Amino acid sequence: MTVKLTRRKFLQSATCAAAAVPMARMAQAEQPFVRQPYAAPGSFAGTKSVCGGVCEMCFWRCQLIGKVRDGKLVKLEGNPKSIDNGASLCARGNAGVKLLYDPDRLKYPMKNIGKRGAPVWKRISWQEALDECASRLKAIVDKYEPQGLAIFPHGASAKYPMNFFEHVVGTPNNSEASFFQCRGSRDVAYIQTLGTPAGEEVDMPNAKVIFMLGTHLGENVHVSHLKKYLKGLENGAKLIVVDPRFSASAAKADIWVQIKPGTDTAFLLAIMNYLVQQKKYDMEYVEDFGYGFEEFTVGIEHASLEWAANICDIPAKQIKEVADMLADNAPNVSIHPGRHSSWNGNDFQRERSLACLTGLLGAIGVKGGFVKPKNPKVGRCSWPKVAHPHEHALQHLAEKYPFSPPGTPTDLIRETALTGKPYAIKGLIVWGQNPIQTIPDPALTVKMIEQMDFVVVCDVMPTDITMYADILLPESCYLERYDYVKKGTQWDYSQPHQQYISARVPMVSPTAADHERKDSVWIVNELARRMGYEEHIPAKSAEEMVETILAGADLSLAQLAAEEGIHIQPGVDPYGTQYDVDFNNRKLIDAGFPGVPTYIPVPEPPKGFARLVYGRLPVHSFNRSQNNVWLHQEMPRNPIWINDEVASRLGLNDGDEINLVNQSGVKSPSSSILKVTAGIRKDVIYTAHGYGSKNPQMHVAAGAGLDDNSLITQRAVDPETGTHGMRNNFVRIVKGDTVLDIPG
Amino acid sequence: MSQYAMIIDLEKCVGCHACAVSCRAEWEVPVGKDSEDRERHRNWVKRLGPAKTPHGMSYTYYPGLCNHCDEPSCVEACPYDVESRTFVDQQTGKKVTMDVAATWKDPFNGTVQINKEGCWGCGACADACPYSVRYVNEELDEPKADKCTFCVERLAVGKQPACVQTCLAGARIFGDLSDPDSEVSKYVKKGAVGLESSAVKIGPNVRYFGNARDMSLLTSTCTPLTMPVADVNMRRLLMGRLAKSTFKGVKNFALLGMAGSLLISDTESEKQD
Repeated sequence: MTVKLTRRKFLQSATCAAAAVPMARMAQAEQPFVRQPYAAPGSFAGTKSVCGGVCEMCFWRCQLIGKVRDGKLVKLEGNPKSIDNGASLCARGNAGVKLLYDPDRLKYPMKNIGKRGAPVWKRISWQEALDECASRLKAIVDKYEPQGLAIFPHGASAKYPMNFFEHVVGTPNNSEASFFQCRGSRDVAYIQTLGTPAGEEVDMPNAKVIFMLGTHLGENVHVSHLKKYLKGLENGAKLIVVDPRFSASAAKADIWVQIKPGTDTAFLLAIMNYLVQQKKYDMEYVEDFGYGFEEFTVGIEHASLEWAANICDIPAKQIKEVADMLADNAPNVSIHPGRHSSWNGNDFQRERSLACLTGLLGAIGVKGGFVKPKNPKVGRCSWPKVAHPHEHALQHLAEKYPFSPPGTPTDLIRETALTGKPYAIKGLIVWGQNPIQTIPDPALTVKMIEQMDFVVVCDVMPTDITMYADILLPESCYLERYDYVKKGTQWDYSQPHQQYISARVPMVSPTAADHERKDSVWIVNELARRMGYEEHIPAKSAEEMVETILAGADLSLAQLAAEEGIHIQPGVDPYGTQYDVDFNNRKLIDAGFPGVPTYIPVPEPPKGFARLVYGRLPVHSFNRSQNNVWLHQEMPRNPIWINDEVASRLGLNDGDEINLVNQSGVKSPSSSILKVTAGIRKDVIYTAHGYGSKNPQMHVAAGAGLDDNSLITQRAVDPETGTHGMRNNFVRIVKGDTVLDIPG
Repeated sequence: MSQYAMIIDLEKCVGCHACAVSCRAEWEVPVGKDSEDRERHRNWVKRLGPAKTPHGMSYTYYPGLCNHCDEPSCVEACPYDVESRTFVDQQTGKKVTMDVAATWKDPFNGTVQINKEGCWGCGACADACPYSVRYVNEELDEPKADKCTFCVERLAVGKQPACVQTCLAGARIFGDLSDPDSEVSKYVKKGAVGLESSAVKIGPNVRYFGNARDMSLLTSTCTPLTMPVADVNMRRLLMGRLAKSTFKGVKNFALLGMAGSLLISDTESEKQD
């Protein structure tokens, strides 16, 4: 007889045996039994490689292969065929497996039979969920017109619903977090200066100088972008990092400019004025491509090195040193446009200044400069534009924010919803966004939600916003669905020019017995049918949508599968494309804004407070990845950085448990640990954004770390673009029951 | 004999933690701790600074893993019964038979490995390591010591170590120190060093390379200064021995009783806590 028994189980019985000496059981244990030795076999053992994944742990979208054993994904790796990320993935990409199998994931459509914010969930069928969503949304459209709806989307899967509600149902009230709380002001500023959005398109591998303002590569990780940066450093580029904090990039810098936050535009103006005065700019490029240069030089002539040094709290000679280093190496300099640009509510002017500096140095279309890749063309598959909601766009009605990025500035939506003027907004669709931890002043967001007739949220995880849904829909994650077609080129333009096209395909089956998740194309099509828009449905399924997009490049899913998930074709030399530079922008003047980049001072910290500045950690995509056990393990909480001299005056030590309270008396619901360091200014407190989830259904993330967004209650809005500035809040430290003033 | 080794180039490292997470995925390493002060990991990144050093401000990282030491203290500490084991050189096919316990230093590639079939999970090896590279995995049916293997299993099928493959910065260089022309040897000539102190000199084969300020912060905060005393978990050791003897047929009743009484006293003291 063979007894299957592990040694641990045996030992448990052996213990009883030893204690009570029941000889009969001892005799039993003498039976021969099969041992179960164990060691992890490794991802390569007994697995099949599945190609064609495209990551969405962040939005850079690296190309993946999955190692699948018995239908279960055991590991993700970079697709070795990729000319973008190669076989590499970042920490988040590697941790995708734990999102896929997160036990806290949304599983079934749910109806909130409790209150918004304090939900009691009842599982319902898709039929019931869709019927209710459609009838409630339709009722709002019938009563209040389509603009009575607002959508808050984020991520690849949100594009299809976003386009449906905007172009077919017809609401202009679309608040994309990636624009209004992230990079909108950057791209609009570059469009108004160089005529093209910035992306992060600087040719760092071939630069002689890389100049970064607040960008903290290393803590902010996108694989091929980091490869470009590191290749540049390896090739000998000098690095200039402007940051109030000794960031991961500052640690690799030749010059670290420890600037006072909010004053960056003054710094940039002084550099440009110095270059103009010293005739160290690219006269030929400015002559050929510059517009309004005369007015520009006059408009910035007040910006002396000393003027800026005083404002920025840095030595004048350091500004000169930076300007000289840029001029000496022009035009092969990368003036990095940054990514998240929603800082202080004067962000459009800062980004305009970066674009003007790029033009002034002639750093456009040349090695090391602002060079946009020549991407391959693919097809399109989206909802037809049958509605034209823009006459109801709030920024037009209010005659504000004429340079808004696509969609509607978030605060106009919130204010309109709360006042009912100029019209009522009574229906809310949230798709993949977590406004509670994204948008400043979350209490105002909650008020907006409370006055809605109906709220539907679709997500993968039970983020904080899901607590406010009436109907909650569970979505397939990026490893189980078709959606995004990723395209691009090789990242080092000194290498042979190549283009690639890849499509997101499921790596494992989207269906299983323990859940009923669906992809956004299926969900929205079902809603469209029920709301009377069936005739406009552009694709029967996500798969068909991807096929249509690929067909535009004479490709198909079958072809991509035969090419190991990535189609590669000869590329086009991206160098040589030059852009006009609007140094003095007429459209801005006509709209009542300064035509020349202008420094607008931001509010100062009140006495006893420090400015709260936030950034990224390499192991999280802000809040989205907080519940991932592997990523949580790497950094369970977000350290709160404080200057060492300040800490010592306050009697605080590294590792102390602390909280923060802001100028309005708002405290984060959860605390974190203090990091005492010489690497930050005395007037700044810094932490990583996105921690401190509140939804108890997030068993890993709930209460882990400090929620900086809860402290961002003082709103700043860029007057040109309507995008948020999120760094005009000021905090004191709370230790135990004591509130500590930050010494001046 | 070869000596497999790894260089961590801190000039390149951006501290992204991909290495640590890829290792967790590859080898199914559980999260959390196995005891009050021991993390369950085979591969980690500790963030250091920003802090002042005599050479300027530094903000760097301690990417750590098993050092596959020249004189591994963990191997000495293993209480498992010594048995004969035959090792095969992957390159030449040459064979050597040695007497080893449940963990050993490979005579051909210099890596330190564990016999997962035998290991009792007593934790003596983990206690004995000054670098805390080992942990005891109790998630399994049977507790087992676990640590970095330099991914020799992946090497055997023509792959790179998981952490090396995923590193976007090319900051991890794997190779053979016995080959003077290897990348790792070149780094050692350029000044890459292991984390060693006067008390801990057991020949670590993970070496760190970086500028003066980063190396100053790394070595001043992450070098072990004392050799740990292997505090063998008596209960588990006895259990292990007991189990082993049981597998061959129960012979040692005295030991069985001892183990049982130890466990009972443990449980009682836990109750008092």
